[in-house]
Amino acid sequence: MRALGQIATLVRKDLLVEWRGRARLFSVLLFGAVTLLLFSFAVGPDSLALRAAAAGFLVLALLLSSTMGLSESFRVEQEQRALEGLLLLPVEPVALFYGKALANTVFLLLLAPILIPVALVLYAVELEAARILGLLGLWALAAAGLSAPGTLYAAMTSRLQSQDVLLPLLLFPLVVPVLMASVKSADLILTGDPMAQMRSWLVLLIGFDVIYWSLCGVLFPYAVQEAQ
Amino acid sequence: MTKRLTWDGALGIAGVLLFLVGSYIGLFVAPAERHMGDVQRIMYVHLPSAWISMLCFTAAFGFAVASLWTSKPRWDRAMTGAIEVGVVLNALLLIQGMIWARPTWGVWWDWDVRLTTSLVMMLLFAGVLAFRAFIEDPERRAAWSAVAAIISFVDVPLVYFCVRWWRSIHQIQSTPSTVDPAMVLPLRINSFAVLFIAIWMIVQRARLEAESASGERVPEPSRLAPSEGAEHA
Amino acid sequence: MTRDDARPLAVRTLGLGRRFGRHWALAHVDLAVEPGEILLLAGPNGSGKTTLLRLLAGLYRPSAGSLAIFGLDPAKERLACRRALTLVSHDSYLYDRLTAYETLAVWARLLGRPAGEDELVGLLAEVELAERRDLQVKGFSAGMRKRLTLLRTRLERPRLVLLDEPFSALDPGGRRMVEGWIERFRDEGIAVLMASHALERTTRIADRALLLERGQIAWQGAAAELPARMERSR
Repeated sequence: MRALGQIATLVRKDLLVEWRGRARLFSVLLFGAVTLLLFSFAVGPDSLALRAAAAGFLVLALLLSSTMGLSESFRVEQEQRALEGLLLLPVEPVALFYGKALANTVFLLLLAPILIPVALVLYAVELEAARILGLLGLWALAAAGLSAPGTLYAAMTSRLQSQDVLLPLLLFPLVVPVLMASVKSADLILTGDPMAQMRSWLVLLIGFDVIYWSLCGVLFPYAVQEAQ
Repeated sequence: MTKRLTWDGALGIAGVLLFLVGSYIGLFVAPAERHMGDVQRIMYVHLPSAWISMLCFTAAFGFAVASLWTSKPRWDRAMTGAIEVGVVLNALLLIQGMIWARPTWGVWWDWDVRLTTSLVMMLLFAGVLAFRAFIEDPERRAAWSAVAAIISFVDVPLVYFCVRWWRSIHQIQSTPSTVDPAMVLPLRINSFAVLFIAIWMIVQRARLEAESASGERVPEPSRLAPSEGAEHA
Repeated sequence: MTRDDARPLAVRTLGLGRRFGRHWALAHVDLAVEPGEILLLAGPNGSGKTTLLRLLAGLYRPSAGSLAIFGLDPAKERLACRRALTLVSHDSYLYDRLTAYETLAVWARLLGRPAGEDELVGLLAEVELAERRDLQVKGFSAGMRKRLTLLRTRLERPRLVLLDEPFSALDPGGRRMVEGWIERFRDEGIAVLMASHALERTTRIADRALLLERGQIAWQGAAAELPARMERSR
């Protein structure tokens, strides 16, 4: 299908632009690592308490890093109004949304190989390989959940003043389900799941992803439409 | 402007009168709750606020869909009014919840399912109002805030289920369900009272918005006199 | 799709107007452009030239009146209109971190007609950017950016070309190049609308001119008569 090819082109374009400006990727990584460190200062050097809060801190680090990545991903489009240039081509806005949201998800996935080990080391959590893989899968689901509404909101806030305040203001309450579900699931992965609660949390997280990946795709054209 | 009574004004007055009657019955006629005593009487404003604020947000969702669909400013104004009234009622219900929680549970805040969901809901819709304030172009403001209202509203049931499962790890504080028939009457009266007042305020708010927007509606300038040689080439 | 005419007008507007807040940037514009016609939009800054071009490109929705691009309504047949026209505006639409070649390749793929390397390099050679094909746009001068953006008019193979100040930022060679392209567009039956202050150059190539003043058509006629008309309004 034509739209799929266009989405692939857009994702490749975004990742290429991202890679050429990789200083940004590194600074977001560093930012995530610093937040992980700061969280441990907030709790104190009590390794038991740290381990208990590890899942929550890891997901919060992802959330805080994501807003930096999201608003930046549209700054590139606004600089020389490249987004308008794309809209002038025979491309459906929906394809623009899925291209951007996928690229943002990949960007957040790239944070995992650094932030997860840093968290495991700082919070003294021992984990076997299978569970680390589980954590990675969870990270992907959470990243997808943040990217869909985040991309939609960033497309709008990037054209306003005070975008740095507005994006988290709108996004954080919205992703409360993502936050809760992934903190709980991560906690179950880290500390064990004797009561088999994982399933319902994953269903909720996947449900959120499905709902928002569809809904935001429908609404995105209104966010970039020509009415202005 | 003539001082004729509009339908919504009549509704507002009816709402205030009903509220006085309902609150009187609730405070002085209905019996005190067996376990909690007079504290429980806050229920007569708490539950109506909760119900009607939820109703306001539901209406706002409907208006948002209509606004995107038709791009008529009327729906945008109705949506703004509904969100504003919903947020105010939501704030009131949170305060009432805290007032009730303190003597009942011994804490100001409890991560009760409905209370927590209400808090997130208020933050969501207050965010939509803050967002609106930054968008200058009226058409863009209408479209973007409708988008934000829709995705915020869809989030509410997800938040609710999340908090419920999240809570179920701890023990659930049961809300008293022993309801005397004498308590139902003031509850009903006050629910309609708050509903009427809410509708009246939404209509007022939408009207105010329409008036301030009418200043922006400038008629098209009159046609310039065609200059010589203006025939089509 | 039914057409009354075998050859519908490239552009047809009736009472077209656009309001921004309290200000009408454009009003009462009745316009008809034939395929293969070159129309010059003249007028002082703020007279509505850019607004008109952006309305035609479908970037703004009309506040009044109607418009049709080859008989199509841009609000309803969005993609068909996008395929029919190309707009070169003040903004370059470029990504700083893509190379000139990558930029063209992305555009071509989004257009749904993947162009071979030879074709893309050939296009770059036309604007004298072939040797810089693998350099990032970040280091390009304003003129080089303009040349690259202007290639959209060639790559997209439109039937209607909208140019907002096509000659700005270009050196004399670049201006001659664009002039040549415009004349070729006419030969190929492509309609061109251009907004420009470079009257000496543009009145020579345009068939017809339209003078906008405070958002309205103050005069329209043969392009050659425009300088005299502008002299009088001064």
